[in-house]
Amino acid sequence: MNKLAFAVIALALGASGAAQADAVLVLNSEEASYSILSRSSRIELARHPVGREPHHVIVTPDGKEMLIGSTATNELLGLDIKTGERKRIVKDIIDPYHLGFSPDGKWFVTAAYRLDHVDIFHADGYRLAGRIFIDGLPSHMAFDTESKTVFVTLQQSGRLAAFDLQTQTLKWNVAVGNAPAGIIMLPDNKRLLVALTGEDGIVVVDPKDGGVKGTLQTGKGAHNFWPKGDGRHYFLSNRVEGTVSLVDTTDMKVVGNVRVPGGPDCMDITPDGKELWVTQRFLRRVAVIDIEQLKVVASIPVGKSPHGVFMMKSGAVTPAGGPVRAVSTAGGTK
Amino acid sequence: MRDLIDLWVFTQTWIFETFVGPVIFHFGLMAWYEPAFNAVEFVMLGVVQIAVIAIGMRFFERRWPLERAGKDDRLILVDQIYTVLNKLGVVPLAIFIITYPLVTAIELSVRSWGFAPPRLERVLPWLGDNALASFLLYFVLYDFAAYWLHRAQHAFSWWWALHSLHHSQRRMTVWTDDRNHVVDDLLVTLALVVFAQLVGVQPGEYVVILMVGRLVESWSHANVDMSFGWLGNRLLVGPRFHRLHHALASAEERHIQDHNFAPVFPIWDILFGTAIYDEQNRPTGVDDPVVDADNGRGWVVQQVTVFWRFARALVPKLRRATAL
Repeated sequence: MNKLAFAVIALALGASGAAQADAVLVLNSEEASYSILSRSSRIELARHPVGREPHHVIVTPDGKEMLIGSTATNELLGLDIKTGERKRIVKDIIDPYHLGFSPDGKWFVTAAYRLDHVDIFHADGYRLAGRIFIDGLPSHMAFDTESKTVFVTLQQSGRLAAFDLQTQTLKWNVAVGNAPAGIIMLPDNKRLLVALTGEDGIVVVDPKDGGVKGTLQTGKGAHNFWPKGDGRHYFLSNRVEGTVSLVDTTDMKVVGNVRVPGGPDCMDITPDGKELWVTQRFLRRVAVIDIEQLKVVASIPVGKSPHGVFMMKSGAVTPAGGPVRAVSTAGGTK
Repeated sequence: MRDLIDLWVFTQTWIFETFVGPVIFHFGLMAWYEPAFNAVEFVMLGVVQIAVIAIGMRFFERRWPLERAGKDDRLILVDQIYTVLNKLGVVPLAIFIITYPLVTAIELSVRSWGFAPPRLERVLPWLGDNALASFLLYFVLYDFAAYWLHRAQHAFSWWWALHSLHHSQRRMTVWTDDRNHVVDDLLVTLALVVFAQLVGVQPGEYVVILMVGRLVESWSHANVDMSFGWLGNRLLVGPRFHRLHHALASAEERHIQDHNFAPVFPIWDILFGTAIYDEQNRPTGVDDPVVDADNGRGWVVQQVTVFWRFARALVPKLRRATAL
């Protein structure tokens, strides 16, 4: 009976086009597919094939497309952000594991996790401006608000590197801790937060020179960030601990924790700001957290090793100074 | 079905997060976090396979045996050891450690050249909407590669020196499939992993293909007097079909082992002219005293003596190559 009900809901939503307005996209990294879920019904509506090893998804600067990085086929798949319709494939983007647009929309950057290089493209036409080879598994990135610098964590070497976007050259490369993964630039443009997946917390880094200015204990396997939306609080997934922490970046303290088993990874917030959706890599599920109660209220089955998660139509243009919508992350702990 | 998947992944996650993950984290080996999680699944699949063999397939062997129990039954013990070591990941782990750098180097080189083998779904888009058809097609392709690898194991003298260990068993049973030299396992694994990457088999599919394929192969070695019927015997490799491949050569049938190579689908033997079908019972083994001496030896002694057999077959070739 339940299956029948789900099928009817799925058909009704699909037929009306409401499926997309209400949809959530999840990348099943070890299944070469992406799932479309219904946000309100909390069921999987459809599963579609996509290249190989899709990990992360990002919104184009014009806010019209989602770009999925298919790492092992060296390409991006562009989907219409409202309908989910396949729009195009951008070829010859080598190993696009993590990806992001600079806040001004002029630069497009990819971190080739397996192939050890960072590629900087002119966003207009995805023309390669420069490729910088760098050891240590480049995994996640963040930009400064002026769109001059991209910061990339190097997960294996435990370092953080900064690259000048205009000249595509290395500015600095410093040790920050064991297995750095997720990274964000805070709105003040003066502090970078870096999650240390090989440790139990995050470090605060000076974007000028990479100097570590502080630490905060959150949980084992601190991995990735997602903003709560108030410019002050950020969610942080702790993959080994199996928790998601809520971090107050003004007072630099943890103000809440919620248990999310199964290697929590990438996150996104519903447009109404009430729910945080988190991929549970090992459990092949996506957890739904009630933000006010800080409590898991649902867990939805998807494909194998779900990684990136994205609220369709919630994207819009990346706000200057805000986090790059390089939804998700992963790492050696891919 | 979803309940079964949930039970499986919850168990896997619990084992990993309770026992394995904390160790990986403690020793700062987070680059191995995901592979270690997949390794837990491999061991779990091994337990399931052993249970299917020991409970399910052995039931048929006891109920409808082709060869009656006899004094050679003690020869089966070493095959059981092979099965446990293989299915529970001891041998595969050693092989993984050796092959991983090589496979990774090949993969990364190919990718850095910008070459990305397309998945079949790119060529046949309808496959994307049919998980079962997609799985079957990849399975068939995988079996095709395994067929030719098996022929190579018999065609090259140095490879036969290794593979003859598998054939030396005079008491063939469900346990015999895993009776292989580790170097033989290593070569086959390396070739199949590279092939799987080239045709775009996904990790999730690869695990299922491996599990289903190995179970069929265990069954095809069973000491069971059963048939799938005329059509069934041409669709799936069964004990009668594969036993002919293990048959002891005689003066009248000197090359009988050069038949029925297919691991899962007999179609390859039919297409390439290596299929034979008959109902005659024959003893199994190898008509070579040196190889036959493997019987009665334990796991370690077999591994050592067969390695030397392999080295002796290989070195003269190298010497001739050097002379050129």
